[in-house]
Amino acid sequence: MRALLELTGLEVEIEGLPILRGVDLEVRPGEILGVVGETGAGKSMTARSILDLLPTAATVSFDRCTFDGEDFIPVRARQQARGHRIGFVPQRPRGSLNPVFRVGKQLVDTLRRLRGMTRREAKGEALNLLRSVHITDPERVYRSYPHELSGGMCQRVCIAIALAGEPELIIADEPTTGLDVTIQAEILRLLRDVISEHNAAGMLITHDLGVVADVCDRVAVMYAGRVVNLGATEEIYRGALHPYANRLVSIATSLDTGGTPREIPGRVPNPGDDLAACAFAPRCSRADTDCFDQEPPLVDAAGQLAFCHHPIHPAKVAR
Amino acid sequence: MTEAATTLELKDLTRVFEIKTGAFRHADLKAVDEVNLSIAPGRTLAVVGESGSGKTTLARLILRLLEPTGGKVFLENTDITDMDGTELERMRGRMQIVFQDPYDSLSPWQTVGRTVAEPLVLHQDLSIEEATEPVARMLERVGLSPEHARRYPHELSGGQAQRVGIARAMITNPALVVLDEPTSSLDMSVQSQILLLLQSLQEERNISYLFISHDLTVVRYIAHDLAVMYLGKVVESGPAAEVFAAPRHPYTEALLKAAPRPDPSYKTDHVYLVGEQPSALDRAPGCPLYGRCPIAEEVCADTPQHLVEIGPRHRVACWKRT
Repeated sequence: MRALLELTGLEVEIEGLPILRGVDLEVRPGEILGVVGETGAGKSMTARSILDLLPTAATVSFDRCTFDGEDFIPVRARQQARGHRIGFVPQRPRGSLNPVFRVGKQLVDTLRRLRGMTRREAKGEALNLLRSVHITDPERVYRSYPHELSGGMCQRVCIAIALAGEPELIIADEPTTGLDVTIQAEILRLLRDVISEHNAAGMLITHDLGVVADVCDRVAVMYAGRVVNLGATEEIYRGALHPYANRLVSIATSLDTGGTPREIPGRVPNPGDDLAACAFAPRCSRADTDCFDQEPPLVDAAGQLAFCHHPIHPAKVAR
Repeated sequence: MTEAATTLELKDLTRVFEIKTGAFRHADLKAVDEVNLSIAPGRTLAVVGESGSGKTTLARLILRLLEPTGGKVFLENTDITDMDGTELERMRGRMQIVFQDPYDSLSPWQTVGRTVAEPLVLHQDLSIEEATEPVARMLERVGLSPEHARRYPHELSGGQAQRVGIARAMITNPALVVLDEPTSSLDMSVQSQILLLLQSLQEERNISYLFISHDLTVVRYIAHDLAVMYLGKVVESGPAAEVFAAPRHPYTEALLKAAPRPDPSYKTDHVYLVGEQPSALDRAPGCPLYGRCPIAEEVCADTPQHLVEIGPRHRVACWKRT
């Protein structure tokens, strides 16, 4: 199956500091890809590179970047896709809505800009969009200012705005961080539903492995500016090839099942730190001199891809 | 000294805020409503609930950072509700807190050593010089090195800063430590390091923890006992394992069902409660969940149900499930 979005060798540098060091990933039609990692791993930067929403000081380069087969490397291509072909759901819904305009006006303006509608057409469509994100009283929300709405309601509005351009891909950056558990479950369900109803694909950025397990078909695990492990969610949770991904999942699983988590010693490197050939090597119990000196090879096994000299093959894991 | 049976005991603890609703009108907001809880030495009680449920107000009342409008707080069987002055200062050494955001809760102008020494100076009348030695030992105990004492908070990572927060809380050898979302601003790998540290300190010193969190995965791991709050009321409490395995209150059930778990074969379920949590001002006179509860009946609207024992130490406030 041809990938909807495919990128290889994505590098981002800000003021001489390498933030992304060669990110490879693809989003397939109809799937939701989870992008997980800890602070500074480069999750948000990856999303922002695709949308051309990086700070001005950043320099971006790709080896390859295509969207539905089209070359996506030129900045103009990515800018034109933003809103139209790729919708974006932000982390802080209230902060990303304009506080001085009513929700309705913000939706209408977006629809007129993206779809060239008249004011009257846009109003009808705006109400439809609000209904499609399961808002039961769209007329009231249409007339409201963002501060009059709850956090969960603001996020529904943001999802409606992301849908306005009828996108083929929806990128959501930590869409439920800061929302209560019951609201989080509703928003995640909603995202999954609208993505499948619109025949779109999704890319969900999160640090929460519970959220990934709940809604994502495949997962990309990032560490220090790279995707180190990529595979179907079931495969990654059953036994990730990469030792970092493996440990991360096992920490979450043991907390969940009441076991004692095994610590990952040390800490995540900062941009600009001297890195070993495999950035995880200094914290890895399987590391040897190869890991420090030689670029880790790409391993394709157990339905996963991983960059590692000493991957944990599921067959060899004692159960 | 005889061993106290309970470290902390709350009796009908209540805090009402007067909210201005108009030019000459006020309404009473019951942020914490007749809460009864206790924690035994060496045990962890987790208080869970969503924003606006009163968890943080409860913590502030216990620490006497906020005055209750009703009820009592007993720390090691001493009534501290009306204590003040020197007496309260001494007592504060027995109860400490670790905050959610480690950077926000450390003074950026003070060295780590000074910050950790402060409780000893304030509550145990030590001089800064006398505190140097215990501070160095405490820093080592929480996994830092004594030379961290000369650093400033901005030189620390999030995990290190939280270790400093823990060292400051533990240095007076408290009986009770309130942990207010201590790991929610930390990354996963660091989160587990901090949880393991808290656990080993508890075992070593027999400390009681009041653990406030909305992260049910962490709670499942660390809590011995669990109290679920909704709009200022404790709606269910009991041994954590039992409440997780067999929640009885509809709100507890909804909360547990909505929490994602790191297991792809497990799917969350949200189609349970109706609508969103109302303001505590609009609470029904009966059950706080009335209006959202799928199994509510007439009695739930205007008659409050108190916590009723349904198993060993397992209590539920629900007309339908008791």
